[in-house]
Amino acid sequence: MRNGTKKAAPERDQKRVRDWSRAKLTFVGVVFAIVLTGLWVRAGYLQIVQGPDLARLALRQHMASESDRGERGQIFDRSGRLLAKTVEFSAVSVRPKDLADLDAAAAKLAEILRVKPAWIKKKLESSKPFVYISRRVDDKTSAEIRQANIPGVTLEAEHGRSYPNRHLAGQVLGFVGMDDQGLEGVELSFEDWLAGRRAKYAVQRDASGRKLYFDAQGHELRNLRGRDVTLTIDSQIQFFAEEELAKAVTTHNGKAGTCLVVHVPTGEILAWANYPFFNPNAARSVNPREGRNRSALDVLEPGSTMKPLIVAAALQEGLVKPDTSFYCENGKFKVGASTIKDTHSYGDLSVNKIIRWSSNIGAAKIGMLLGPKRLHAYFEKIGFGAPTGLPLSGEGRGLIRSLKDWQPIDTATVSFGQGVAVTPIQLAQAFLILANDGVKKPLKLVLDPPQATTEAPPVRVFDAEVARAVQRMMREVVHEEKGTGRVARIEGIELGGKTGTAQKASPTGGYGNKYLASFVAFVPAETPQYLVMVLVDEPEPSHYGGVVSAPAVRDVTQKTLSYLGRLPETVFLAAGNGQAAAAPGGGVHQDDAANALSTGPGPVLPGGIDAAAAEVVPVPPGLLDSPAIPNFSGMPLRRVVEILVTKGIVPKIEGQGLVVTKQSPAPGAPWPGAEKKQDFVLWLARPS
Amino acid sequence: MSLTTGTELPAQQNSMDYWLLGATLVLAGLGLIMVLSASGVMAERAMESKYFYFRKQAIFALVGLVIMLVFATMPKKVMYAPVYLWLFVVIGLLCLTLIPPFSVKAGGARRWLSLGGVSIQPMEFAKVALVFYLAYFFSQKQKLVRSFSVGFIPPVVVTGGLGLILLLQPDFGGAVFLGMLFFLMSLVGGTRMTYLFVSVIFGAAAIGLLIVQSPYRFKRWFAFLDPFKDPQNVGYQLVQSFYAFGSGGITGAGFGSGKQKLFYLPEAHTDFVMAVLGEEMGFIGVSIIFLCIAILLWRAFRIALSQDDLRDRFTAYGMALVLGLGFMLNLAVVLGCVPPKGVAMPFLSYGGSSLVACFLCVGVLLNLSRRQTA
Repeated sequence: MRNGTKKAAPERDQKRVRDWSRAKLTFVGVVFAIVLTGLWVRAGYLQIVQGPDLARLALRQHMASESDRGERGQIFDRSGRLLAKTVEFSAVSVRPKDLADLDAAAAKLAEILRVKPAWIKKKLESSKPFVYISRRVDDKTSAEIRQANIPGVTLEAEHGRSYPNRHLAGQVLGFVGMDDQGLEGVELSFEDWLAGRRAKYAVQRDASGRKLYFDAQGHELRNLRGRDVTLTIDSQIQFFAEEELAKAVTTHNGKAGTCLVVHVPTGEILAWANYPFFNPNAARSVNPREGRNRSALDVLEPGSTMKPLIVAAALQEGLVKPDTSFYCENGKFKVGASTIKDTHSYGDLSVNKIIRWSSNIGAAKIGMLLGPKRLHAYFEKIGFGAPTGLPLSGEGRGLIRSLKDWQPIDTATVSFGQGVAVTPIQLAQAFLILANDGVKKPLKLVLDPPQATTEAPPVRVFDAEVARAVQRMMREVVHEEKGTGRVARIEGIELGGKTGTAQKASPTGGYGNKYLASFVAFVPAETPQYLVMVLVDEPEPSHYGGVVSAPAVRDVTQKTLSYLGRLPETVFLAAGNGQAAAAPGGGVHQDDAANALSTGPGPVLPGGIDAAAAEVVPVPPGLLDSPAIPNFSGMPLRRVVEILVTKGIVPKIEGQGLVVTKQSPAPGAPWPGAEKKQDFVLWLARPS
Repeated sequence: MSLTTGTELPAQQNSMDYWLLGATLVLAGLGLIMVLSASGVMAERAMESKYFYFRKQAIFALVGLVIMLVFATMPKKVMYAPVYLWLFVVIGLLCLTLIPPFSVKAGGARRWLSLGGVSIQPMEFAKVALVFYLAYFFSQKQKLVRSFSVGFIPPVVVTGGLGLILLLQPDFGGAVFLGMLFFLMSLVGGTRMTYLFVSVIFGAAAIGLLIVQSPYRFKRWFAFLDPFKDPQNVGYQLVQSFYAFGSGGITGAGFGSGKQKLFYLPEAHTDFVMAVLGEEMGFIGVSIIFLCIAILLWRAFRIALSQDDLRDRFTAYGMALVLGLGFMLNLAVVLGCVPPKGVAMPFLSYGGSSLVACFLCVGVLLNLSRRQTA
């Protein structure tokens, strides 16, 4: 029946179905439109309403760290030798889950890293997905680990600080922490300059934790590199200073010591040594006290080294003349309840002899003549009681009692350096005024960035004649009969100096039997070019500045001058040959010198000195007449070549630099015959 | 042979539907760009070049454009003639996916065939073949459609057969897609509501059974309701998709600047390409896509409605469904509205078979658009 009707009215049926299909089709279309609109609303809800929250959550997983840093800048000495550099280390990490054999991996790692297997095993058994086993691993070790190829163990590059000269200028340089932030010394005071700038963007990581550097970001990171610092330090002179300081402190059983070498016309610090040494490469494993820059931080009573400054003040005020006499009370002088003593008893002493023989009573009388007010004013003028302005963090100010607290006895004692405390660097600064003919110029530690030293305008503190008069008195200390500093004499050159043997205040009050032995010198005695200062803390049994510190000053001065080519030739060669004869403190210790000079070009003379202008002294005839080859090490290359050429020898030169460190044939051998003249080789400081 | 004279004449030769063509080209163009952005980093690491997927997709787009133009211009008769051939070829290809030497196993499923260096996903073409078949069946057997044995059983058997092969692959999403296609085609094609209703009940029961069988599958299925409950595991993909959309905000991070594609978002350049687009182009970009989809579907339904011939109408409607269901299921998945299943975004997702099949659908629609009544 149904069939029938369908057959009967196929047209109508089809029409009906067609109509229905149109309607249904429209219906489906409408449903699609509604669903699509709903999905669009849903997308809007996710992106606009929930967007910020979701974005924050997403960010957390995208960023490996909130930021990254550019590489830290390097620190150079004045000639461009590297003192501190940023190097790539490796961090060894493990994903414990990826380890095939935990015990084997632990054993292998322990062997390479030289630690206990049990310690590593404990770390590997961690439930964390990722553990650091060791950081700051050097290239050699990381190569071994890479070679071992342990699944689950990964090496990741990280930056670390390396000080290629080890302890050289360690306290001046300071050190950095685990995250490359400066913690001490120049590293700290130039943190903003040295530090790689932080990247604004964060480093992206992908889902597997890999950091992704896109091209542009890599460039950006390079631009973020920290800036370099160039110090006024000359690593070679620094090396001399450290070597001699160590010798002085250890020979005399001292506790510690400081040595400074300053270029007088510019105030540039060429060497700044502190003993015990401090190796910033091992900053974390040594006593942090060794990292202190004593010469900037520690205050001490300077003792007799104060006297020339007091005399200069009295001369400046017109209270005395160099030949004014003072009665020195035969060694005992009562001031109020106290008695001032001299080591030797003197009657009348002229001012220059008070300096030469270092009379406390004489100095006290001059000080009392000045009176507390003027003394205090001069202390301020020469920079005691205030930081020197060197870019150093935590620099000591020194201790100058305020005027109203001054007792009459204080006026007497400060005149020979008791009851007043200064930092070694302040003391050096004060003597720099005398050496600079009475003009106070700031000390400098940094050549670049140039604005680092607060450029205080030079201030005249003493008249030139006054300063020169004191310079002459200090020359007498070294060169005149019975001068307390006569040990510091260097043949062929005159220097001025002043000893100091300060009794140290004991913790219980009063002065005990511990001493600070000091010697300050400048060279040449007239129109000084270099200031050298050595302080040795608590030497025993001998504790006199003239015995403990003066030899060190002498040797540092001699080596420095010979290195700079400023020593008259005779003295220079004597010093050079002295080493062959094993005279202590003679020449440069070659191997160590080569070490200290491992990088950078040859010496660059301190500002204002032209190497070519240094006078050329003719070669002494005796040298060439000698049947044996002299020791050339430590001598300027130019000089050695001159000498050899007169012998008809053109040496082969190995390495770079301006100073000879080694030679072949060895010193003492006979001059080579004609056929062997080609075999003369000179090695310079830096291997090529 | 002289049939051509009377009935074939009234087909008016209109111009192509340029709205449809325009929307298609915009979508395909954006798709290519997004594939480059989404796959670049991954391709650089996994393949020889960062343009690896982009290049392949571009070639497929060209192939698709050619196929679209061929289908848009070929005589209708040629297009309609091989209905059963289409069907058998597709069934054959689907069966081949189950046989190891020909098939490529990826992600635990055998959905691809590797033929001469080109891998194809027969399921994408199965949709088109099914539409051709159902349109043919519902228009030619219109008188029988309302009967059960002749009118209902054959399309059910064909659809069910295809669906079964898909379930064996397994491609659950594909099977559901075909089921929905069948349902919506039957709905308009005139099948009795009772049959449909009953089959929906059966289908729902089957799905329910499948889900209940495995607690893990259950968890996976309903993770979309609260993906943040287990963001590291079953909710991972969806959470990453949400992060992408959320990071995009209104204006987006900028082309190429998205971060979710950096191995966080699984299948960033395929099923979840919309999430990458949402992150890089923001809600504005997403809205442009929605607008294109709306235009495309509006024109597709309009073309279907304007067909007088039932076969034309059902064919056009079916093609609209293939595209529309693809758009909606994919968007619903990436936006977390339905349980996740592998459905490609038409024109946007990387994948040659899907892209070519979608162009084919548009080609058929363009062909029919030229013959609509004014």
